[in-house]
Amino acid sequence: MASMSALADQLPAGIVACDCLSPFGGADATAAALVANRRALQLTAVLGRDGGDQVPLALLGPMDETLPLRWLPALRGFAAGIPAGTWGTAREPVIVTSSNFGVGSLYAFMRDHDVRHMAHGNPFACVELLRREFGWGEQVHIFSHACVTAHLGLAHAARLLHAGLADRVLVFSFDFVSPFVAGGFHSLKILNGAMPAPYAVRETGSIGLGDGAAYAVLSREAAPFQIAAHAFYNEMFHFTSNQPEGTGFTVCAGLIAPTVRGRRVWVKGHGTGTLEAGRLEAEAFARDFPGAPLTGWKGSLGHTLGSCGLVELAITLAALRGGRIPGTVGGLAPSFTGSVALEPFACAGFDGAILTSNAFGGAHAAMLLTHD
Amino acid sequence: MIERFIHHVKVELPAPEEAVAGGRVRLADKFPRTALRRMTHLGLLIGSALEGVSLGPDDALVYATAFAECRALEDFLASFPSASPLLFQTSIHPGGVQQVQIGRQQPVGRLWPLAGRTRLVEQAWLTALLEPADRVVLAGGEERGTWMIETGMASDKAFAFAAVLTRESVGAAGRIVFNPGSTTDEPCPALDAFASALRERKPLAWQGAGGAWALEWR
Repeated sequence: MASMSALADQLPAGIVACDCLSPFGGADATAAALVANRRALQLTAVLGRDGGDQVPLALLGPMDETLPLRWLPALRGFAAGIPAGTWGTAREPVIVTSSNFGVGSLYAFMRDHDVRHMAHGNPFACVELLRREFGWGEQVHIFSHACVTAHLGLAHAARLLHAGLADRVLVFSFDFVSPFVAGGFHSLKILNGAMPAPYAVRETGSIGLGDGAAYAVLSREAAPFQIAAHAFYNEMFHFTSNQPEGTGFTVCAGLIAPTVRGRRVWVKGHGTGTLEAGRLEAEAFARDFPGAPLTGWKGSLGHTLGSCGLVELAITLAALRGGRIPGTVGGLAPSFTGSVALEPFACAGFDGAILTSNAFGGAHAAMLLTHD
Repeated sequence: MIERFIHHVKVELPAPEEAVAGGRVRLADKFPRTALRRMTHLGLLIGSALEGVSLGPDDALVYATAFAECRALEDFLASFPSASPLLFQTSIHPGGVQQVQIGRQQPVGRLWPLAGRTRLVEQAWLTALLEPADRVVLAGGEERGTWMIETGMASDKAFAFAAVLTRESVGAAGRIVFNPGSTTDEPCPALDAFASALRERKPLAWQGAGGAWALEWR
């Protein structure tokens, strides 16, 4: 267990702007679709045009990587909404967070033998493409910690702001599904023919994968929505499974819980649809946040991987603005705990939310979002 | 000024021809047998650089690699259409250092894996300096690819390093310093140049990220 010297970061950062891109559209459209209990996931061949089993994917278009990159036009349009700034300078750095970057291009190279695909195949090359596209300067940080990556970017942004090293920080995240990653998760058998049912007690677990992008502009100035705290923990027990007693979930929930300080919160969990992790997560957060509804949206949007923390933050803000929080789309009764919200609920009476993500290696991340 | 003092330093610079099989033989006594057969070359090198450094939940780990597990990537790509679950796992950033910590069963409070290139060293240092943990381990490296080298998607050399950074000056071998103020972005040392500086106890200095950076030795 972590000692109490391993505290959560409590460096409040105001959210100046935040949006996401999903198959439903921007954050407002996505939140509305989730409140309406709509699924973006559709059964799709796991290797795209190369075929394979049908698995649930939520895509912005056919996932086969192309030249030019299949996701670049969508990302270009989405990035046009980022507030103007001297992005990529020391005072206004960019933090790019992803787990896929351009890895789909490596698969496309193997399929097409066209060397031009290789120009975007790894994180720095892919981000260099974005840097030039969007006119960012050289101060572009790149983090890649699988599915908790966006949380790292947001936490690092808060540290830069509170150290006085930056005035505003742009955190930008994007993950687009490719046969590379779909094939990988399929090989682990957790991406299978079943639609995900997060936190549901059932025989077999399953996840979906989804395209997603998001950004947030953070500053030290107070704002209607603030990220008040971050907590992290890395179990290092196994690459793809958690400690059976749920230590990682317990530690992370225990680190973020004291930062809530009397606020009434709900919990947006990781909730991919896997059984053991879903149960451990639901139990840990029910213990530390008694009475707090637990919801998760990967049953509709699929898992947007390294971007999920930021995509789901943008949806949270849109849902709060709209007054209703989406329930666990795709969830089924019975759930692992009574705290799982299967239907949308009103945000009136809440003044905070805990947003969590998990990743390979038993990585855990949680942040506290506060609002008046 | 923000500074951290360097204590443990170890750099792994294998013979140019060494690949993962040779690494397993050379470094066999440093790893559990069950973990050894699944480790990548980068994982082996990182593990050797971290020998003697026990990490815990109160520690932070900053991990820097531009190309990461490029051999696992190459092999995973070759495994299609029957994708290999093991190679998928090991190809995922930050698998190199996770292999080591999972083999040791040592949890870590905060892990900051960076994946840039031109300013990777600067960003890793900045991440380490902003960490509130008393002890920060700064580790990183690369493994040598094969066919992906030709397209610039894999490293052409293998190396790894680890340095323990604390706020304690007593007994330190050197320090990393950042003085905010400068607005110039000078070229930042590459990751392998940083590893060489650690190995040879050479100083480094440049400007970037809004300040002046220095690696100093005693």
